[in-house]
Parts: sequence; structure tokens; C-alpha cells
Amino acid sequence: MSANRWLATGNYFTSYREEQRIFFTSLDRTAMGLLLAVLFAWPFFLELDNKYMLVIDNILVAVIAVMGLNLVTGFAGLISIGHAAFVGIGAYTVASFSRMLGENHLLLSHGWPVMIILAGCMGAVFGALVGLPALRLKHLYLAIATLSFQMIFQWTINFMNFFNQGQTISVTRVTWVTGQVSRSQHYMFWYYALLVVIVLCGFGVRNLLRTRYGRCLVAVRDNDRAADAMGMHPGFTKVYAFALAGFLAGVAGALHAYLYRGVGVESFTLHHSISYLAMAIVGGLGTLHGSFWGPLAIKLLDLQVEQLSEWVGAHVTAATNLATALRPLSFGLVIVLFLMFEPRGIANWWRIARSYVKLWPFRY
Amino acid sequence: MAYLFQLIISGVVVGSIYALSALGFVLIYKSSRVLNIAHGQIIATGAFITYALTVWAGIPIYISFPISMVLTFFLAMSVERIFLRRLIGEPIISVIMVTIGLMSILDGLIYLTPFGTENFSFPPFLPTTPIAFAGVSISWTQMVGVIVTFTMIGAFSWFFKKSTLGISMRAVSDDQLASMSIGISVPKVFGLAWAMAGLSAAAAGGIIGNITGLNFDTLHAFGIVVFPVVILGGLDSILGAVVAGIIMGLIQQFASGYLDGNWGLNGTGEVMPYIILLIILLFKPHGLFGIHEIERV
Repeated sequence: MSANRWLATGNYFTSYREEQRIFFTSLDRTAMGLLLAVLFAWPFFLELDNKYMLVIDNILVAVIAVMGLNLVTGFAGLISIGHAAFVGIGAYTVASFSRMLGENHLLLSHGWPVMIILAGCMGAVFGALVGLPALRLKHLYLAIATLSFQMIFQWTINFMNFFNQGQTISVTRVTWVTGQVSRSQHYMFWYYALLVVIVLCGFGVRNLLRTRYGRCLVAVRDNDRAADAMGMHPGFTKVYAFALAGFLAGVAGALHAYLYRGVGVESFTLHHSISYLAMAIVGGLGTLHGSFWGPLAIKLLDLQVEQLSEWVGAHVTAATNLATALRPLSFGLVIVLFLMFEPRGIANWWRIARSYVKLWPFRY
Repeated sequence: MAYLFQLIISGVVVGSIYALSALGFVLIYKSSRVLNIAHGQIIATGAFITYALTVWAGIPIYISFPISMVLTFFLAMSVERIFLRRLIGEPIISVIMVTIGLMSILDGLIYLTPFGTENFSFPPFLPTTPIAFAGVSISWTQMVGVIVTFTMIGAFSWFFKKSTLGISMRAVSDDQLASMSIGISVPKVFGLAWAMAGLSAAAAGGIIGNITGLNFDTLHAFGIVVFPVVILGGLDSILGAVVAGIIMGLIQQFASGYLDGNWGLNGTGEVMPYIILLIILLFKPHGLFGIHEIERV
């Protein structure tokens, strides 16, 4: 049966190759192209305030980090309660170069793509180290190992003079072919840089997941004994999953450092680890596009929470900053409610909407 | 030498509180295989209820302490009933993530109250002059705290060894299917395990509050140090929790007593448990007293 290259009403795969394509139909490919074009082009038509640009950039950084978390928690099935620490490793790689070489060293201002990759590698090394217990243990223990890594990370940063004891370490402005990126263009520049990184990472992860190196993650998650019998090493696969997650987290951390032009430990605490986990769960664990929905939803929720607490704070005099109370409360509620009522996350709504449109006017 | 004994005494005091906190954690893990990440928040809640009853409502502490234990008992039971009961049979990974969500929710609720940011301390109800002996001193609150802790641990071990409920809890942790077939209601046992964990957590919280004062960060940290303790003791061993709690308290005190200030180190007591945790996970993952049937990968 010749498959319709534009609209498919079902799966008509006749070979494994067909099943592993990145785009199943031409429509998919066109839609992705259009989406990318819109994402790259909209700043030319719409002028946004720096404040909103920062929010968008923030979401994009979180997307990269959550992509990593999704690899380890969604695809490989290992809970990581220390993801913010891996992001922090990336950020502090940049920061420590800034401390060692001086803030305006050429490597930091001109060689920032190198720094970002270096930060990713650093994250991967630490990810593999934390994942090492996976050679012997199952996921319960791994969750505890990541938690303790988070605590050790926070302690190391807080008590070492080299890291300025957790206070902000500043990071230089970067230089692009047009010269040093100016203050007014900073967020716009990083929007494009982040977009390019996300496209690279997204296609990288999508490609990975259709090769044997990605599929072994899912195999080990679903049944590690069967995976073992088929010749995969479950332990090494898990270590490798942690390294991959660490790489993406490190990249996200370096971008975070450059975006904020400074690194402080308060951006990489246990609370942030939990909010990354919330993003992954809300977006949909084990789906790639879930890593885009999750940060979007949680960061928008975060904005709403801030506005709400400002509004309440104007009417009620509270002893504490309401946002510090409402933020964990709302994140926790979102995690629990999604796990109880929609464990497959927003990605599932997207799937339902897609299949509705695809099959319209029929339904099942 | 007196310095060493002083460190040992404060180590045992802190360690016995760790033991009591870890006890509740192990209870939940033993019966339902759930890692309760929100344990520190339950400890904090218990401590805050005790404080509110003692200071704001003016109830004497030896009455308000049991009342807060009972309240936390029902609180933990309802947490299990509302959030975890409907997740029985779901993959364990999502149950653990629900407890992470719970931790966040309780954090938020605590931050809504004054307890989230301000520090409180219990009014002294015991003599404030410490008991001094051969250059070593221990305060009355610490003394009473240790006594209460060991009484509680003793009561718990009696409960598990002798009472019908305790034996049925052990049966469920051993084999759920078999215990169902002899008429034990497994969901009820899960609820009871959570409730007992809440009770012991409230006791631990009250004691910590009396010894160190009420600070949410400190109480929260107690909930996280529970992890190194239970890993050292073995996740499913109550005896292990007690022994490892005391060992961990001693290690912390020795680390901060002998390492801090040397070689530019600072605050080593806080990080030592986690370093030990990672080492144990690598070399002896079932801990000191845990059952060896760890599922290897």
C-alpha cells in the first residue's frame, strides 16, 4: 500500500526504517519548518520589552534542561532529584573559568560556544559519576544518590571561597561577529542563540532516540532483565543516561550563566530541582515534545503566581513574601494533580487533539 | 579528652533524634515500598503544631506534645488516604514523585504561616542549668529528649514484636499477597504505617524544637539527613535506623568538631552524611542491617 505522504489516517509502516523516520508525513515536516521559521522571524515584526524577552529566554533555558531530565527520568525511568545541581555544574564551569582566567578573557567572550560545549562535557562527567551506583542498584537508591549530590553541590558552592561562597560571580558579555553584544540586544541575541541550541539538541535527542543508543534507554526502563537478555548492559545504560542528562543540563547551565551574566547558588537549589521535575511531569514524561510544553506551562504558571501574590499582597499585609509560599504550593499541587489525573502530561492532550483533527469528522 | 566526651554526648543526642526521624521513614518504606521524600516537612509540621499548642494556646507542654503527636497521626493518615491510596498499583516511580509533590505542597503551606520564615523557641520548662560531670555537660532538654526518644523507640519495637497490628504490619511488609489471604487489609496497614510515621515524626519535631529552637530550614534539613541514615542502616531495618541514626549523629559531631577550621573547611557536619551516603551506595548498598536481597541490575 503506497502511503499518503501528506495525510496518514493510520500507521501503514511496512518496514522498521519507515517507523523510525523523524517526520512521518510531509505535513509534519512542513509544519516543523513553518514553526521554526515563525520562531526565528517573529522578533522582526514584533517588538517585545526586555522583561518579556527574559521570560522567553528563561523558558528556552529550561527547555534544554528538561530535555535532559526527560532523557533520564522519562526515557530511562530513573528519578533525578538533583537536576538543578547538574545545571549548576554547567553554570559554575563558566563561572570558574571566569574566576581563573579573569572575567574578560578571550575564551569567555569570543569562545562562548566552546565554553558551552565544555560546560556540557563537565555536566556529563558529573552525571556519569552520580550515576555510577546504577551499576549495582535500582532506581530507588539512585533517587537518593541524586538527592545527596544536590546537597553536596550546594555545600561545596556555599563553603568554598573559589566559588565566592555562593554569591554572584559575574560573567562577561559575549562578542559576536558584529562586535560585543550590547545591553539592549542582549536578550534578543540570546534568544537566537538559545533557539539554535534547542534546535540542535532537539534534533540530536530525536535522532538519538531512533538509534540503538536511545532505544536501549527505553528498553532498560521497560524491562531491564529482558534488555539484559538482548545484550544490553542495564547498568552502563543507566550511567550513560545520567551522562546524557548531565550534558544537556550543563549546556543549559552555561547558557543560564551567560544569559544572566552571573552565577549564584540560589538558582540551583533543591527547589529548582523539584520545579524541573514538575516541568518534566507536566509536559509528559517520555515524550520529546513534552520537554517543550512543561517549561512553557510551569513558567507561565510561575508568572501568574507572582502576579497573584502581588495582587494579594496589595490587599492583605502578610508577614512574608507570598510568592515564596505560593510558588512551592502551586508546583506541588501541579505535580500531584498531574500524576493523579493525567500522568502522561500535556503531551497527551496534544496527542488527543492531533488524533481528533486527523480523524475528523470520525471519532472513536 | 573532655572535648571528645562532649562531642560523643552531643553526637548521641543528635543521633537519637535522627533515629526517631528515620524510624518513621523506614516504617513507610517497609510496609509500602514508598520513599517518603516529604518526611522532613511532616517533622516540621509536628514541631509547629506543638509550638502553636504550647505557646499560642497556652497548654502545658507535657499535654500539648502528645496532642500534636495525635494530630500529626491523623494528618499523615489523611495524606495517605487522599494522595497515595489511589496510586496503589501505579509504578513506584510515580508514587515517589507524588511524595516530592507533597513535599512542595507542605513547604508552601508552611511558608504561608509565620513559621516559614521566622525563628521561634520554646519557653524553657526544665531547669536551664546544664548537668555538668567531669568537664562534660548536657542540658536538661537534651537529657529529656534522649529519654523520650529511647522510650518511643522501645514502645515502637514492643508494638512490632507483640501487638497484633504490629505483627500484621510486618506481615504486609513481608508478603502482601499472603497477608491479604489471611485477612489483613493491606490499604489499612499502609494508612497505619503512614500514621505511625507521622506520630514519630511529630515526636522528633517536638524534641528538635525544644533542643535547637524552631527554624524551618533546620527542621527541613533533618528530613533530608534521614536519607543517609536509612541507607547506612539498611532501608528496611528498624534496628538499622536506630543504630545508623546514632552513628550518623556521632560522625556529624566529630566532623564539625575536628575538621571545621582546619584546612579551610567549614560546615563539614552538614555535608559528611551525604558523602558517606554516596560511598555506601557504591560499596555496601544494603547498609548495615538491610536485607541482602537488593535487586541487582
